Amino acid sequence: MNQPALRQTPEPAGRSGRESSISGLLPFKRGRGGSVDRARHDALTAGRKAVLCVDNVSVSFDGFKALDALTLILDDGELRCLIGPNGAGKTTLMDVITGKTRPDEGTVFLVGDLRDLTQLSEHAIAELGICRKFQRPTVFAGHTVFENLELSLRGDKSVFRSLFGRLRPNQREVIERALETIQLHDLAHSSAGALSHGQKQWLEIGMLLVQNPRVLLVDEPVAGMTGQETERTAELLKSLSGERTVVVVEHDMEFVRSIANKVTVLHEGSVLAEGSMNDVQNDPKVIEVYLGEAPC
Amino acid sequence: MNARAASVTLPKLAPASAPRSLPLAALVLLLLSLPLVNAVAPTNSAVHVPDYLVTLGGKFLCYATVAVALDLIWGFCGILSLGHGVFFALGGYALGMYLMLSIGEQGVYRSHLPDFMVFLDWKELPWFWRGFGNFFFAAAAAMVVPGVLAFLFGFLAFRSRIRGVYFSIITQALTYALMLLFFRNETGFGGNNGLTDFKHIYGYPLHEASTRLGLYAASAALLVGTYFLCRAIVRSKAGRVLRAVRDDEARARFCGYDPTRYKLFVWTLSAVLCGLAGALYVPQVGIINPSEMQPSNSIEMAIWVAVGGRGTLSGAALGAFLVNGAKSWFTGAVPDLWLFVLGALFIAVTLFLPQGVMGLWPKLERSLRRLRRRP
Repeated sequence: MNQPALRQTPEPAGRSGRESSISGLLPFKRGRGGSVDRARHDALTAGRKAVLCVDNVSVSFDGFKALDALTLILDDGELRCLIGPNGAGKTTLMDVITGKTRPDEGTVFLVGDLRDLTQLSEHAIAELGICRKFQRPTVFAGHTVFENLELSLRGDKSVFRSLFGRLRPNQREVIERALETIQLHDLAHSSAGALSHGQKQWLEIGMLLVQNPRVLLVDEPVAGMTGQETERTAELLKSLSGERTVVVVEHDMEFVRSIANKVTVLHEGSVLAEGSMNDVQNDPKVIEVYLGEAPC
Repeated sequence: MNARAASVTLPKLAPASAPRSLPLAALVLLLLSLPLVNAVAPTNSAVHVPDYLVTLGGKFLCYATVAVALDLIWGFCGILSLGHGVFFALGGYALGMYLMLSIGEQGVYRSHLPDFMVFLDWKELPWFWRGFGNFFFAAAAAMVVPGVLAFLFGFLAFRSRIRGVYFSIITQALTYALMLLFFRNETGFGGNNGLTDFKHIYGYPLHEASTRLGLYAASAALLVGTYFLCRAIVRSKAGRVLRAVRDDEARARFCGYDPTRYKLFVWTLSAVLCGLAGALYVPQVGIINPSEMQPSNSIEMAIWVAVGGRGTLSGAALGAFLVNGAKSWFTGAVPDLWLFVLGALFIAVTLFLPQGVMGLWPKLERSLRRLRRRP
């Protein structure tokens, strides 16, 4: 693929990741300025309990503008749904926040922290507490549910530590709490491969939870789920918000209606409307975009 | 459901089968120590094990050690090495060099140099033979040399993310290349004939039954030690990380683990254990030559593990005993058939017993339970 305008970060792990995470801690950086203008930071977050700001971000693929000067501010502890027709830029936005795609313009930053996330590696961003759950569940099928959570715990991941380290009581507690949240306590010692599709998705959410993220990005969590599983997922996501910020990208309008307190509609790479589900649905611009496929 | 979930206490992480395997372990220890009865029992008593069986048993114990070390990387980390013979042989050569130098001037040519050097008209010991007159130096070299080779090789291969069948093929090339190198007289390890005609080890004459018994005991100790070391690794969190790397390397990396380091660790450790096994093997068989590095030898090692049961350490050891026992019998009775039998065995195991002989165990249990339930 030929995408000259798009600068992709290299492979997530390995030496390159470590280098850039170190350079992320340095006060100065090569190339574009690595930190955010303080005045801009204050102006965007004034008067609200914001946690993450996406400021004026543009991304283009071969001239096609996937994101066009998009600005999005996420409040602390909210559950935000991102909707929009295909090609609206939902996934690209997630990619930019997690560092998978580097934007041509614009900045992303955590409130109270002037580092520009677009300059950090995926690994470093994950360490700052921004975690993403992909669409396809990827758990270690050969391990038990408990072991899956144990492997995802924060902490020293060196060979030496793994050989001689033991699970500390507080770590065990973190795992148990996650097990209760995702309601897989009874299945803690069964193999993850034997779980249903929905349970695997919950387990993966649990694997993110034990890393204690501040912002949780969830990509189409209910795709392929049964009605009952969808309901439980809605409850799970609702219970997570409050403590942390949860962003859900979803096509299923019924599901979005059941969970969202705030919906952002993307269209052609920028924010078309923002507000409660009802406000958004009655917005004439939104109706026009969804022409022919009325938003439920 | 919620109330019930809250009241459930988590069981310990140790597998439930631990107490059940205890009698089995006792039985194995008993069998291992049987030849040691020879030390006290008179030669003509009923419990006396024939001397040739002691040596054969000692050889098998070394093979079983290799199988356990190979299973550590193949069964638990998904790295199939088809070149472990090279580490085994290097360990053997290291101790063989000591045994060669300890012959002293009792060789055919009555020279302080090993016979093959006199034959090649060399006047003094090459530099890389220096120090091997010391037993402990040689024993250390038997671990360090395979370890360093494995570390360098593994570092380059794992860092370049060479995996699966490509890695296996390169290990074959490694053992083949070293075999060709060692075949040359100029290399300085006795060429084609290798090192042989050993007389003593640490002052004890090698042909004596008591020395043989000592070597057997050392081999048994090495096997037991290797088994428990590998078991401890496999049961630690590192073992769970290794299995995670085996099952989904990308996901393990995403969880923050560096697969290269974990692989390099077990790979190097496995090579060191093989080197030790080789070092104990050589004084028992009395010779080490480059044919130990034949690619087919390394493939046979993988077959031991496959037959016994990949992914179970005790299964790997069992496989080494079974295949080598069969080999001893076949090469004695119908030598021409052995390779066919080995091939057929490998195919049969792959098709019908993907978990090896150890995979039969749960099946047997299940059918026994079914029988018992029926009146």
